[in-house]
Amino acid sequence: MAVRSGRSAIERGDRRFALLAATPAALTIAALFVYPLGYAVVLSLYELNDKRPAATRVVGLANYLQLLGDEKFLASLARTGVFCLFTVFGGVALAVGLGVLLNQPFRGRLAARVLLLVPWAVPPVVNGIMWKLVFDGSYGVANSVLMTLGIVDHRVQWLAVPDLTMGVLVFAELWKLTPFLTLMVIASLQSIPASMYRAASIDGAGSWQRFWRMTVPNLRGTIMFLLIVQSMWSIKVFDSIYVLTGGSGGPAGATTTVNFLAYLTTFSYLDRGYGAAMSIAIMVLVAVVTAFWVLVLGRRGKEASR
Amino acid sequence: MSALSGRRRWTVGRVAHRLAVAVLVLWLVAPFAWMVVYSVYPSTNLRATPMSFDPGDLTLTEYADLLSDPSFLLPMRNSAVVGAATTVLCMLLGSLAAYSISRFRFRGSQTLLLSMMTVQAIPAIVLAVPLFVLMRDFGLYDTLVGLVLTYAAFILPLVIWMMVSFFDSIPVNLEKAARIDGCGRLGVLRRVVLPLSGPGFAATAIFAFITAWSDFFLAKILTGPDAETLPVRTASFQGLFAMDYTAAATAGVITALPVLALALVAQRWIVQGITEGAVKG
Repeated sequence: MAVRSGRSAIERGDRRFALLAATPAALTIAALFVYPLGYAVVLSLYELNDKRPAATRVVGLANYLQLLGDEKFLASLARTGVFCLFTVFGGVALAVGLGVLLNQPFRGRLAARVLLLVPWAVPPVVNGIMWKLVFDGSYGVANSVLMTLGIVDHRVQWLAVPDLTMGVLVFAELWKLTPFLTLMVIASLQSIPASMYRAASIDGAGSWQRFWRMTVPNLRGTIMFLLIVQSMWSIKVFDSIYVLTGGSGGPAGATTTVNFLAYLTTFSYLDRGYGAAMSIAIMVLVAVVTAFWVLVLGRRGKEASR
Repeated sequence: MSALSGRRRWTVGRVAHRLAVAVLVLWLVAPFAWMVVYSVYPSTNLRATPMSFDPGDLTLTEYADLLSDPSFLLPMRNSAVVGAATTVLCMLLGSLAAYSISRFRFRGSQTLLLSMMTVQAIPAIVLAVPLFVLMRDFGLYDTLVGLVLTYAAFILPLVIWMMVSFFDSIPVNLEKAARIDGCGRLGVLRRVVLPLSGPGFAATAIFAFITAWSDFFLAKILTGPDAETLPVRTASFQGLFAMDYTAAATAGVITALPVLALALVAQRWIVQGITEGAVKG
């Protein structure tokens, strides 16, 4: 009896300690994350434009309905789709390739892996400035190199032609994000036992076969994880667009992805209510894309393991 | 026979592999190296055809200018203070919360952990206006305190997520022994658990610092001239039509150097942190 009540006193103490210890973090997150999120939902139900403060009123779901017919919004969604297509699939595919490349034994392998941290550590704003120095139309080194090699015969205005600007943006983002994805791939590759590969090559499997039959299936979980996080990051891209286009999302809106349009709507057009609705739509988009990856790849994984 | 197999021949595949590695290394380093070059040569040298890299023209004028310009030194100081304060706050609150989730199953602890990941999916733009209003109402707009609190809320979920996985890998028996020896609950965390999770702790702290230091979006929205941070100041060097390339490159190098150095010095911990996270996920 005495022992039992003694134990429960410790348990009670444990519980009190656990709650006390978790409270400061939970409060910080609640005050500066959950509360603003609720605020944003309410805001999205208002017509609230700082250019016409007198016209403020509750409009319910009208902002969301307006989104469905807003050509600018739909065009920005399409641009986000294109950007994601290249950065998500391109980034993950490149990461798998580079991971395999850096998983082979060679002298300097460790140093090469450490250098993968360079793009990861460079702040996004600096990333934008870096590529602006490279792709400047008049003085950029990209033009100098291409002209010296005879690939182009005039200075290309990389950041003035819509498709080229999107290309530069994709290129800049791939530089920044692929190395981190590669590190994850290498980590996952290291958990595949080397004896499996040896056994397979003794059985006569070529390197191509080993890659598709052993490496890729073993990376399935990692690839799914990378597709999810990279989709999240790509939908949210902001800093490099801002720096590369001088805060305009141009030329002619060519790099105004949905996240950037929400920024412009809120902070340039001062359309707070509509901007809030748009940003919540982005949040839903992220959730839908994540659920899509989990469903599609999760089910395939089950089929494959059956 | 053994001599032959000991020294592997340079097959086509091997040469192709080394070439690919060389291209990769160039790709990783060249853009940043080019920015450094841009920051130490007068722009006239780089705009000439062909470019001139005469060592006699090397100059640190731009660095001297920026590092003596109060409007650049203030953001530098702000970024250092905000980065350090955010890291300390996140690691303090984060380890407490993570320890509590990892060791004591209380009602809502799993929900709390799951919500940590959900938070990652929410774009900062959703919270921009509400945070701005909140900060203004509490007199925290354009203050370092406001920025530190906001960063803490954004970074804490990731810190807790990482720390829970490190704590989970530490055997509970050690703590039981310490408790029997008369160590309090907080003492166990401080004297037993935290020292054992050293590399994980370091990796998480570095993640927190780099995230806080590198942020542009929130700082742009929540600060004015007083609490402006380095990324915001650096971004302002580029305009839509004109850009002072040498100044922008120099500011870029100064903004990137602290986090780059940190990442390279602590590379073993960071890679280990990423690895453990990946194996778990």
